[in-house]
Amino acid sequence: MNVRRPIRKVLVANRGEIAVRVMRTCREMGIQTVAVYSDADRGSLHVRFADEAVRIGPSPSRESYLVIDRIIGAAKATDADAVHPGYGFLSEKPDFARALEAENIAFIGPRAESMDAMGVKTTARKNMQAAGVPTVPGSAAAIPDEKEAKAFADEMGYPVMIKAAAGGGGKGMKKCERGEDFGAMWQSARREAGGAFGDDRLYVERFLDKPRHVEIQVFADEHGNCVHLGERECSVQRRQQKVIEESPSCILDEDMRTSMGEVAVRAARAVNYRGAGTVEFLVDAKRNFYFLEMNTRLQVEHPVTELVSGLDLVRMQILVARGEELHLAQDQVVRRGHAIEARVYAEDPARGFMPSPGRISYLRVPSGPGVRDDSGVYTGWVVPQFYDPMISKLLAWAPTREQAIERLRRALGEYTVHGISVNLHYLERVLDHPAFRSGEYDTGFCAKYANDLIVKPDPQYQGVALIAAAVVAFERDHDEAEAFNARARAAHASRSSWQLVGRARALRARSTARVRGIR
Amino acid sequence: MTTYVALLDGGKREETVKVTRHGTGHYQVEIGGRVHQVDAFRHDHGTVSLLVDAQSYSVQLDRRQAEVKVHVRGNQYPLEILDERRLRMRRAAGKFTLEGKQTLTSPMPGKVVKVLARVGDAVKEGQGVVVIEAMKMENEMKSPKDGKVVELHVVEGQAVDGGARLAAIE
Repeated sequence: MNVRRPIRKVLVANRGEIAVRVMRTCREMGIQTVAVYSDADRGSLHVRFADEAVRIGPSPSRESYLVIDRIIGAAKATDADAVHPGYGFLSEKPDFARALEAENIAFIGPRAESMDAMGVKTTARKNMQAAGVPTVPGSAAAIPDEKEAKAFADEMGYPVMIKAAAGGGGKGMKKCERGEDFGAMWQSARREAGGAFGDDRLYVERFLDKPRHVEIQVFADEHGNCVHLGERECSVQRRQQKVIEESPSCILDEDMRTSMGEVAVRAARAVNYRGAGTVEFLVDAKRNFYFLEMNTRLQVEHPVTELVSGLDLVRMQILVARGEELHLAQDQVVRRGHAIEARVYAEDPARGFMPSPGRISYLRVPSGPGVRDDSGVYTGWVVPQFYDPMISKLLAWAPTREQAIERLRRALGEYTVHGISVNLHYLERVLDHPAFRSGEYDTGFCAKYANDLIVKPDPQYQGVALIAAAVVAFERDHDEAEAFNARARAAHASRSSWQLVGRARALRARSTARVRGIR
Repeated sequence: MTTYVALLDGGKREETVKVTRHGTGHYQVEIGGRVHQVDAFRHDHGTVSLLVDAQSYSVQLDRRQAEVKVHVRGNQYPLEILDERRLRMRRAAGKFTLEGKQTLTSPMPGKVVKVLARVGDAVKEGQGVVVIEAMKMENEMKSPKDGKVVELHVVEGQAVDGGARLAAIE
């Protein structure tokens, strides 16, 4: 049965680069677009890009992008048939999907029940174990009692990870090296989890040595088709934030790819999945892989998969939301060459990665062979302090990994952002690092090589920098002086002779009068 | 000829640069006793094509208030360039000292999520005084020196602009 729901107008419940990304595909498909925006985003690129735009509240996301009623109000006011949530914000909130369903508006994403099944880590682990998906060894469920938890950790052996059941983003997550430290770490994790998620349940997992983060992109329709589109290697992370992603991963061979892909598809099927999803795995030094979590949305790094597969994942999401069949068998999935993505953040690596909101006074983006820039900014845009610091994702594709790295390196060199600090040089250092080049890196990469990645400027070119600064200062100083003189001349010349004569007479008359007065 | 002084490493180092114009875009530049023939072509916003003794460089200058960040071949050189008059004014203002009262300012707009010290508290250099949240991240504003907190200008929950005064340490 091909149940078809027409989608003529899509509201994108997001902002910045991902909102623009989704709208681009909509435009290609002849679908009308609706942007939503907070006060800080009135001038944002996604508002300019959309056919219609609706204000949904003040700048803080808690009062705008995270308010379900506001989004639904905007969808109803503009008569949108469907809502694309992007990533972050409401994208993984089952309540949002349910609220849209109640209004008969299509949610471009999975069913609410699938999100329920994957939302809480301990529940997800249980569901995955039942489906025969390998999980990191650890407690079956949340452990209510500290003593019980310690006994469990003692038996499993140290180091262990204490994790929040409702966790995400590294909050409420502690690595415990020795039994003596367990009590203090348990308490601290509990406080953090309670504060961050309003849920302080914890569980214990084995700590994996030198783990790599490898994820599998899956795609499912409503007709029982589910395929995987290969992996993305995301081990270059800083404070649980991905920095570089690439595909293929250096540690996967075809057999391992097939078995991880099959496991990912099994995981998706186990929760009756629909649309685009990502199954994240940790891979240990012995190349054993374990389920970490499932992201029930489009990922930031989805373009990596788009470049190697030649597919448009947003288009596929919309087709699936229309109720269409995928028409893509597993053996029809093509993987070609190598793709890498670098995330451009408004931050200053030289100052402890301090965020750098502010006005972009100048922007020039790279281009040329095999380069893709998914950006949400423009020259003159003031990057707001309220949201994520990512301003763009720069990608390169090439036939081999070496060429893709060199290409991305070249493109980063072309990228020019003035007015705010960005991490472009940091990204270059990552790509240049021997450990990254060799492919022998794990999730500890950024921490381990922190000193290598922030390098002082090469003294070799300091002279050139000084010449440039001095010449520009010279031209500015002299141009200013010249402009001043030119204006004075122009002002003089613009008066007609009669005016000048008149003015001269008046002055003469006045001075004569004054002289007379004194006398 | 015009003489400029470049301040590097936040004012810790100085370099003297002498510039003479020979024609439109043609300069003779002297640094540290070495003389270079320079052909400068200014492109769009902040980009300069420099031919220095025939070597070609595309240089970007990103100006922020007094400072300019100069980008050359993947390197970034933050510096301040001053002519003699501005240098004298700068020296008179005596900015580069950690003596006496130091004001801690916010480098960016954001929200104060935590105040870690009270007036009268002793603090060490590098110790966090105020935590500012911007772009979903918490950033500790640290004391520039060992001393005592003598002023506190913000409270938790308050929004601050870039450059706003947070505290003073003496």
